[in-house]
Amino acid sequence: MRGLRCLLVVPLLLALAGAPSAAAQDRVKTREIVVGLGAEPRTMLAVTIVDWTTNTQLEHIYDRLLDRDARTLKPKPMLATAWRVVNDTTWEFTLRPGVRFHNGEPFNAQSVKATIDYIKDPASKSHYAAYWRKVKEVQIVNDSTVRLVTDGPWPSLIDRASLTDALMLPPKALKELGPEKLNQKPIGTGPFRFVEWKRDERLVLERNPDYWQGPADASRVTFRFIPEFSARMAALLSGEIDIMKDVPPHALEPVERSGRAKIRSAVSSRINYLALVNLKPGPMQDLRVRRAMNHAVNVDELIALVLKGRATRICGPLSPANVDFAPVECYQHDPARAQALFKEAGLDPAKLQLTLDTPSGRDKIKNRNTGDMFFLGWGPSVFGQGVMEPLFQASQTYSSYGNNKAIDEKIARTITVVDARGRAQAYAELHQMVRDEAPWVPLWQQHDLYGVASHVEWAPRADEKVWMYDARIIAR
Amino acid sequence: MRAYVLSRLAQTALVVVLSLTAVFGMVRLSGDPVLLFMPMDIQAKDVNEFRQRLGFNDPLAVQYARFMGGAVRGDFGESLRYRSDALGLVLERLPATLLLGGTALGLTLVLAIPLGVVSAVHRDSPFDHAATVATVLGQATPGFWLGLMLIYLFSVQLRWLPTGGTGTLAHLVMPSVVLAAFFAARIARLTRSAVLEVLGEDYVLTARAKGLAETRVIAKHALRNSAIPIVTLAGLEAGQLLGGAVITETIFAWPGLGRLTVQALLNRDFPVVLAAVFLISVMYTLINLAVDLLYGWLDPRVRLRA
Repeated sequence: MRGLRCLLVVPLLLALAGAPSAAAQDRVKTREIVVGLGAEPRTMLAVTIVDWTTNTQLEHIYDRLLDRDARTLKPKPMLATAWRVVNDTTWEFTLRPGVRFHNGEPFNAQSVKATIDYIKDPASKSHYAAYWRKVKEVQIVNDSTVRLVTDGPWPSLIDRASLTDALMLPPKALKELGPEKLNQKPIGTGPFRFVEWKRDERLVLERNPDYWQGPADASRVTFRFIPEFSARMAALLSGEIDIMKDVPPHALEPVERSGRAKIRSAVSSRINYLALVNLKPGPMQDLRVRRAMNHAVNVDELIALVLKGRATRICGPLSPANVDFAPVECYQHDPARAQALFKEAGLDPAKLQLTLDTPSGRDKIKNRNTGDMFFLGWGPSVFGQGVMEPLFQASQTYSSYGNNKAIDEKIARTITVVDARGRAQAYAELHQMVRDEAPWVPLWQQHDLYGVASHVEWAPRADEKVWMYDARIIAR
Repeated sequence: MRAYVLSRLAQTALVVVLSLTAVFGMVRLSGDPVLLFMPMDIQAKDVNEFRQRLGFNDPLAVQYARFMGGAVRGDFGESLRYRSDALGLVLERLPATLLLGGTALGLTLVLAIPLGVVSAVHRDSPFDHAATVATVLGQATPGFWLGLMLIYLFSVQLRWLPTGGTGTLAHLVMPSVVLAAFFAARIARLTRSAVLEVLGEDYVLTARAKGLAETRVIAKHALRNSAIPIVTLAGLEAGQLLGGAVITETIFAWPGLGRLTVQALLNRDFPVVLAAVFLISVMYTLINLAVDLLYGWLDPRVRLRA
């Protein structure tokens, strides 16, 4: 009985919710921000584990070599102020002078070399070793100039350098304290300094007053780990946390109505697609069937009705948020054309049976154990190589499509074009080729929905960088 | 007595080794852990290199020997997911687990035993009926639902209690109530039936005939004699609570053992899984031992046989 009554009372109370919580008001005074995340970081050591949750927290402590422009997602200066291509296999970075790590150690060419050497050292067991494999050598030209020499032309170097793949480690501390100690008490050049990590509970950071871009507005940032999304929502509505990612669409209204938080959204660079698996025998090996599927699925209607408009359609594997994007034409929703293509392929669409997998884990995809089709989200996806290489070659773990010689060759060529104009041209052609092969039904970029407390001003980004240096605390 | 305890402790070691072996087999046979930890856009050959480096390409027997060799020295290896000492990660969760489990168990006993006894003594009274409804509800209400409802009411609306986490006594209230609601219902029902059974015995009649006060009859004669099944169930519940209350921990963001273990299982982070299994099986068998010793204290006949 008690339970039943609760069920009725709660929505009513929710509707009546009012005044901001005392805790939240205290935080306005002390200028603290609490971010609610679903999981804790997996390490405090930069460039070790590839994991969004880990890196989004780490990059408050460590800076990247290059950043990305919040709007265009193109590389822009951060710890490096400029870069240039010396020749096809040599990149030169000019480093920002006067930057210091939290322990006072200066940031310089030695730091870049030590970081990349750490990544490449097999003993570090860093996931990033594979990403930086093509870098053969880091040459120190002088304190503020460093050259990365690759074992072949590798234009995506600049893309890796402007992600959390290039968070800079302090060389002296790394050598003297070792990775183990740095994992317990991380040291970076970032806008916040490490205070405390209570496992499975919270990570506390404090403002770095000497930050090279000027001190952050927030004096303290706490990441709280709340695995259950309803509990995370409750924490937002009760004023315990100020920012949460991935508010489910059905919960948008209660948040907006609560008066304590608002919804902020960004069109994510993360793409969602329906893979049409050609790597195993079946109707999907026939191009006509794959094209028919593209004409058969009404993506616009799915977005409008199922996602309530909170997604943006994509027509090929690269979204406009990807720096290597070039427009391609969408397959039009055309059931008659789809029927005709199925018949042309010798299939009776009325009798055709296909299996759509919606794997909850990724095991089935990795083991090539899915049905004819499966759904997958991929991202943040901001540069071409990170899509084309892993998803359209048969040899890759997550690919659903491959064994197309022309595409294999085109990919191999495209990912080595260093010159900017040539690169754009090559990706445009590749994008068109892949689109014509219809390896997927490209679906949409999802809209990332964040709940943000009323007293915090912060705008989400397409690359899912949740960076509290950008947040402002506003009095109410 | 000492010989008994020692032989039981030896059995504990055997149980621990057997559970580690079984879990090692199950976790390792269920699939390749390495792919789960690697970034998605990585080349297949890099994954293989990692597998090689971490020793996953060795025969299972070799891996088992290596693992057991380490485990004997308390070294369960490095967590695949977190890159830090697996046993350390598990032990770090122990204080929070003991705190929540202990509080929930205490609350359970304090609520359930009086409830069960009063229901039995006043059988078929309105109190008894109300208690029956409450216990059935307590057992039937899913913990996640009760937890979320409590959060909405006491955190979002009334702002009396924090939604989750640890730190103060206030943080402990909702999770232990959710756990106790379920466990207390079972104990209360069992207490009621056990006491009812004993109340019909001749020695209770004798005690009453001697003119003992009713409270004494209940506390000393009836309750003590019905204690064995209650202690058994409480022991089992204590084991479950210490093994971690996954759902409650998840909803209230409680940094406990259950959450860590289940996450590790899902991620096939088997050094952590095995370290957790080790700790949980040790605790479980020790609780069983404690329960067995309690039997002897409660019932002299058990002591004689031992």
